[in-house]
Amino acid sequence: MATLRINGTDREFPEEALPATLLDLLNTLQIDQATVVAEINGAIIERKYFAQTPIQEGQSLELVRFVGGG
Amino acid sequence: MTPVFFELKNAVVGIAGLGGLGSNVAVALTRLGPGRLILADFDGVEESNLNRQQFFRDQVGMHKVDATLVNLHRIQPELDIVGHKVRLDPDNIPRVFEGCDVVAECFDRSDQKQMLVETVLTRMPETFIVSVSGLAGYGRSNDIVTRRISKRHILVGDGESATGPGVPLTAARVGIAAHHQANAIIEILMNEFNQPRF
Repeated sequence: MATLRINGTDREFPEEALPATLLDLLNTLQIDQATVVAEINGAIIERKYFAQTPIQEGQSLELVRFVGGG
Repeated sequence: MTPVFFELKNAVVGIAGLGGLGSNVAVALTRLGPGRLILADFDGVEESNLNRQQFFRDQVGMHKVDATLVNLHRIQPELDIVGHKVRLDPDNIPRVFEGCDVVAECFDRSDQKQMLVETVLTRMPETFIVSVSGLAGYGRSNDIVTRRISKRHILVGDGESATGPGVPLTAARVGIAAHHQANAIIEILMNEFNQPRF
């Protein structure tokens, strides 16, 4: 199994099912990428780079999802 | 008017959006007496805003920036306020909020929230951002929390209550979130910027 730490909680994926990119991960988690501010290991990843940002085992991700209303 | 915290007289705070969140954050901060408020919105006051936003019926049709200036100056006539009638985007945000210690994200749409937070975090390395996600409906007051996501990003809200059909925005619950935001801003200013600056 491959582990990612997402918003402080460990999440395991079968090795072959670990999403390749941040965008793939958001799709797997069914999160609309237009509403997410993402950090990997403490570094902000701009949305325009989600599709080309590789996901690797052991990374710690903070995915802040915004919902409408204000 | 005497500022509550004399230490904050040099603070510069930006408010992005003057809706239910922004109009309330602006009032709370004005009563505190910061050095300067920088406001930005592109919209006018509408009848439908009056259920939760700090405007008055006779201000329907006014630009929100103008109406907010009038209202804040009625509270504190000497307050230094800069208003920008502009639709914020990644290119103009660093310019509009230049010099801000903290920016309050007070937008309505989720993609706009994302855009603002990402822009401040990536292009304004000296500026903190206090954003909101999840405030629709009523009740569940204590589900609205303030969390520190990273050094410069503080997030308010319950994280899930989106507005939509059958889920209204109410003055009470939006106000709770707005005052979490204002309170987080005060805390940042006291903890991070409470040093003499010349």
